[in-house]
Amino acid sequence: MNLFEKIFNYRMMAQLDEHGAIAVTAQERQWLLMMLEHPDATAAIEPDTLIRLRQYLGGSDERADSFQSIIVEKAGSTASTLYHPLLRTLRQLIVNKSGMQLLHTRKDGNPLPLQTGVPYKLEYSMVKREWYLLWYNRRTRSLMTTRLRSIVHVENMPVSGEFFAQAAAVLTNQLEKRMQHATVEIIPAYNKELSRILYAFSCFDKQVHYDELADTYLIKLSFLGDETEYVLSKLRFLGLRVRVTDHPYMKFRMREAAHKSLARYGYSSVLEPAQDNDGIMSAEAE
Amino acid sequence: MAKESFDKEIQFLRMLVLTSGAYSRQQFAERLGISVHTFDKTIRRLKDIAGTVKQQPAEDHNTAIHNMLRASYYESADPLLLFLFRSKSLKESESYRLSLLIAALQEQSLTPLELLDRCCEGIPEELALPDEKTIRSDLKYLEQAGVIRKLPGGRPSKYTANNDFVSLLSDEELSDLYAFVDVMANTQVPSVQGYLLRDSLKKALKRRQLPDGASDLFLYKYHYHSRILDEAHLYTIMQAIASRRKLSFHYFTPKSNQSYHSKNTNPLFARQSEGRHTEMLPLKVAYDHQYGRWYLLGYGSGRSQIAICRMEGITQLEESGVVSEDEYATRLAALERNTRYSWLVDMGRPVLVKVRFYNPEGAKRNFIKERVQLQGQWGEITEENDTSFLFEITVNGTQEIKPWLRSFGSSCEVLEPAPLRKEFIKEWKELAAYYEPVRKNIQLPHDGTA
Repeated sequence: MNLFEKIFNYRMMAQLDEHGAIAVTAQERQWLLMMLEHPDATAAIEPDTLIRLRQYLGGSDERADSFQSIIVEKAGSTASTLYHPLLRTLRQLIVNKSGMQLLHTRKDGNPLPLQTGVPYKLEYSMVKREWYLLWYNRRTRSLMTTRLRSIVHVENMPVSGEFFAQAAAVLTNQLEKRMQHATVEIIPAYNKELSRILYAFSCFDKQVHYDELADTYLIKLSFLGDETEYVLSKLRFLGLRVRVTDHPYMKFRMREAAHKSLARYGYSSVLEPAQDNDGIMSAEAE
Repeated sequence: MAKESFDKEIQFLRMLVLTSGAYSRQQFAERLGISVHTFDKTIRRLKDIAGTVKQQPAEDHNTAIHNMLRASYYESADPLLLFLFRSKSLKESESYRLSLLIAALQEQSLTPLELLDRCCEGIPEELALPDEKTIRSDLKYLEQAGVIRKLPGGRPSKYTANNDFVSLLSDEELSDLYAFVDVMANTQVPSVQGYLLRDSLKKALKRRQLPDGASDLFLYKYHYHSRILDEAHLYTIMQAIASRRKLSFHYFTPKSNQSYHSKNTNPLFARQSEGRHTEMLPLKVAYDHQYGRWYLLGYGSGRSQIAICRMEGITQLEESGVVSEDEYATRLAALERNTRYSWLVDMGRPVLVKVRFYNPEGAKRNFIKERVQLQGQWGEITEENDTSFLFEITVNGTQEIKPWLRSFGSSCEVLEPAPLRKEFIKEWKELAAYYEPVRKNIQLPHDGTA
């Protein structure tokens, strides 16, 4: 059996839906069994449920050769705990459209006063291997991003449906306002590396334009303001292959990185101040 | 029936995802090595599938497909590309029959004859009625796929849907399992089976009228969506490795301008393809988190010996000859020896790289060190003081680690080897020139270094 099976056919899925029926293949159960072996499964699923699931899946399916023995993962981040203990609690709060009281610490570890708000989404960064809670802060009426690691305590606090909807609307609006755009030009001499470069940007929301006459590709990236550092690290990652063309702050930061790096190697030069850095402190390589 | 190949669809979708609207129809078709007519036909088919899977209203079908695929990051973590695996062709009558059978067996067990009756009742008038033989062969297929199982006991045999692991769960347990599957499918490889399972669990939640917490409750940042497409070959490769068989395929190196070539049945129209025929003994599959790309590692025939192929360039994949257990073990040991120090898959000469990382000034936490520890693979921090720390790592060649080091900007100074240090100085000079307020003429290097 492979991944292209009649059983997964889209028309068939639609028909099964109409009947309210589900079809789970042996392959999917084997995948689940493999995942249940993950040490973090115990944080996600109650111990006795886990035992029952493992028994059932292990007992009824033939064990196939495991993928784990043939897949080598390279250049990933070391996996810390994948399933944070608070995920279940927070997910329940969000599913039930509930509010919350939240006690968390600052980046430096100092505690903040108790806050109230509405949890919105849970976000996992594949790069930092870290969970974040996106939530609405009632006092500041703004979108907050808090590492689950920094949360000391969270408690359910009922809110009206009206308040919840209002908070969700504010958050959607704020996310939109934080959207930034930058255009990245692929230096034509590197067009033969197009595939590699496009792969590197494939994790972003993007549009590509191709100018056939100039044989030049332009990638228009859309990202949230607080992701600027990550975009910058991608640009440095690709080095000479790409150039930002229209984002003054990012251009300044790239120039600054080049000058400061050269200074490390004993080449000092004069760096002109940014025309538009919005007074943002540079924090390279975050 | 001829084996259905999905090479075209895979290459097609990959190009759509990567180039997001950059090419016109002609440009797109040309780069794929297909005709504009085939391009249009494929687009129509993919839109049809995508529309059904996403259950979008008809008027949305006009949306350009690359916009449908565009990663709308803050709306949903649902990988639309998954629809590729739902595109296996199936006759209308067969899809009706199979879904009726599965539906009938959801919470009860029935004999083939009872099922035949159910099917005859449920099939729309315009379709032909099934006979007993057809039903028995359908049941055999479904049993092989593991969707249904035969109950123990005498004749006539009874079948039931193989969903016990779902039905035995309480509402709360099912909800936990759904969340777990969502997280694992999104963070682990391989993932396609997980996404397919998640879809089924979502339906199970819906049947029990439980809120699914929606697939957009969890968000996953910086996902390489096209990694899903490359998983298409994983099963074939895994089976070949398990049975110690070689694989033969047509390989397009990523640098060639064409990534697919239609297999013309009419020799008059056969064109010289840019790909080359390759045979290798598959040994491992590598997933590169830096680019979200898959590699097939194996032992090639001829002079190439240990061979590395990017999964995206592999088409017309087929199993071929068997090798002995001894040969397999020898080749695997050689591969493991050669790739021990590969940052990704480079098998060049091992070299010690020494760099100094500088701690961030005035920051609340040392995010440089955190990142080095998180991503530095087997490298070690050897010396440390208030302002900086030394990092040492032995890698096969410096080319693959270089982008990672460069991504740290001025927080990283390469000390050794000397040639790498020189390359960094040269590149930073050129990069500085890219961003000088008034652009000067830039001399680009032609050495293709990373």
